[in-house]
Amino acid sequence: MSTDSPTDGAGAAASVQRLFRNTVVAVSGALSRRDGRVSLSVSGLAYFLLYLAGLRHLGFGPSGYEVSVVSNPLVRAFRQVGPFQWEPIALVVVGPVELLVAPLNMLLGAVLAALVGLNLAVSIVAWRGPAACRLGPGAGAMSGLPGLLSGFACCGPTILLVVGIQASAGLLSLFQWLLPLTVVALLGTLLWVGSRVETAQQVA
Amino acid sequence: MATDRNDGSEPPTTDSRLHLDYEIGTLEENIVSGGVPKDGIPAIDDPMFADTPPDGLAPDDPVFGVVRNGEAKAYPQYILVHHEIVNDTIAGDPVAVTYCPLTGTAQGFERGPVEFGVSGRLVNSNLTMYDRGTDSWWPQMLATAITGPLTGESLREFRVIWTTWSGWSSAYPETRILTEDTGFSRRYGVDPYGQYNEKRGYYSSTRTLFEPLHSDSRAHPKAVVIGTRTETGGLAFDKETLLRQRVLTGRIDDTPYVAVADTDLASGYVYANPESMSVAASDDGYMIDGTAYDADSLPLDRTLSFDAMWFAWAGFYPESGYVN
Repeated sequence: MSTDSPTDGAGAAASVQRLFRNTVVAVSGALSRRDGRVSLSVSGLAYFLLYLAGLRHLGFGPSGYEVSVVSNPLVRAFRQVGPFQWEPIALVVVGPVELLVAPLNMLLGAVLAALVGLNLAVSIVAWRGPAACRLGPGAGAMSGLPGLLSGFACCGPTILLVVGIQASAGLLSLFQWLLPLTVVALLGTLLWVGSRVETAQQVA
Repeated sequence: MATDRNDGSEPPTTDSRLHLDYEIGTLEENIVSGGVPKDGIPAIDDPMFADTPPDGLAPDDPVFGVVRNGEAKAYPQYILVHHEIVNDTIAGDPVAVTYCPLTGTAQGFERGPVEFGVSGRLVNSNLTMYDRGTDSWWPQMLATAITGPLTGESLREFRVIWTTWSGWSSAYPETRILTEDTGFSRRYGVDPYGQYNEKRGYYSSTRTLFEPLHSDSRAHPKAVVIGTRTETGGLAFDKETLLRQRVLTGRIDDTPYVAVADTDLASGYVYANPESMSVAASDDGYMIDGTAYDADSLPLDRTLSFDAMWFAWAGFYPESGYVN
């Protein structure tokens, strides 16, 4: 690949700039509509909850009401207990629902959920638009898949019990890369969806 | 939480090393990552005990029982599955009570001035502990260091009995029990691998998470054996068969061994029986030369034994006898 000529470099930079601008336009467009905002909220929230459930930080347990916080929560919050997993600093029990509060995982989950939500919002708005603008629901589904996988991958090798394959060094190191790969995939699909929306608008 | 101090202090070790069926180098080559960093599974360094069981414990739930110098303690499996190691003091002795969920083994070690932690590595699916004095690595079942300054040394062990809360609390009404006040936030009601009270998930599946060092299809991979290993070899008794027949016999090299069932605790003990004394189950316990003895106090040399999943035992001790 040759990108060393100034013209090529400038062209590539302009393309990337255009891609980001298109995506920002597509995202703002999607969020200016009610169905876009609903898609973002519903899919984002659903993903966030699934991510926490995948980590086993959220689930059902014996009924009760309790909030307990560990000593030294600020230190504990940064203690890594697995790839992209940090130490929970509190347990909240409300009725049958149990939630372990690991602030860094909640932050990470929120970022992933926002990316998944934006992907779906843009593609659903585009799909519901005029025929010429239709992208098809495939783009949204594509963005959602790696996101879900990353949440469950955070359970480490226990997910392998369900799948029924034996752990190996290669597979375990793959688990460590799933989350960053997911972020890249989500950003990638968002940019792709953004670019397609403008292409469709230009055609229309 | 205690940190990895590496101050050079050492746990007490035995005069002679326990038998291994592999060269230490081979075991070292088979260390694999369990997917968590060192101390990612945090040991309990400041355990709290109560006289009454936690709400989350059912009578038939498994606990690991220890009696030392008259002091009885119970460690619920559902708490240890989240921590694997408890650095405790029993009757004034610093000890580590350890549990590996993947091999179904609960074992006790004297720890002297040092604490043990979870290295995050596994050998043959087995918890590999590290000592916070020298950072030597100790696969729990082998009780022998395979890396670090103490390589080749074996830890001093004591018996941990895998039983149920109802069995343990009936046998030792004065027992104290580990509480969920571990210093960590965990959903203790959730066992990441399955459940024991009605076995499910990993604990009953024919699948293992990691490939064993050696596979032996003579029994279900998760069948429970009561295994013993000495300085010369290993021997495993099928636990279900032992509880049914009450007396089983086997050999390590040419030395006869006898296993007897403790029906109250649904457990068993293994004794060297070099004179091949006749041991017969009776209503009063076990008859030897016309006298009845309790299962835990036969007039023979008791060897340390513990429950283990068959695949894990056969993986570490492929030359071991298997009695069922």
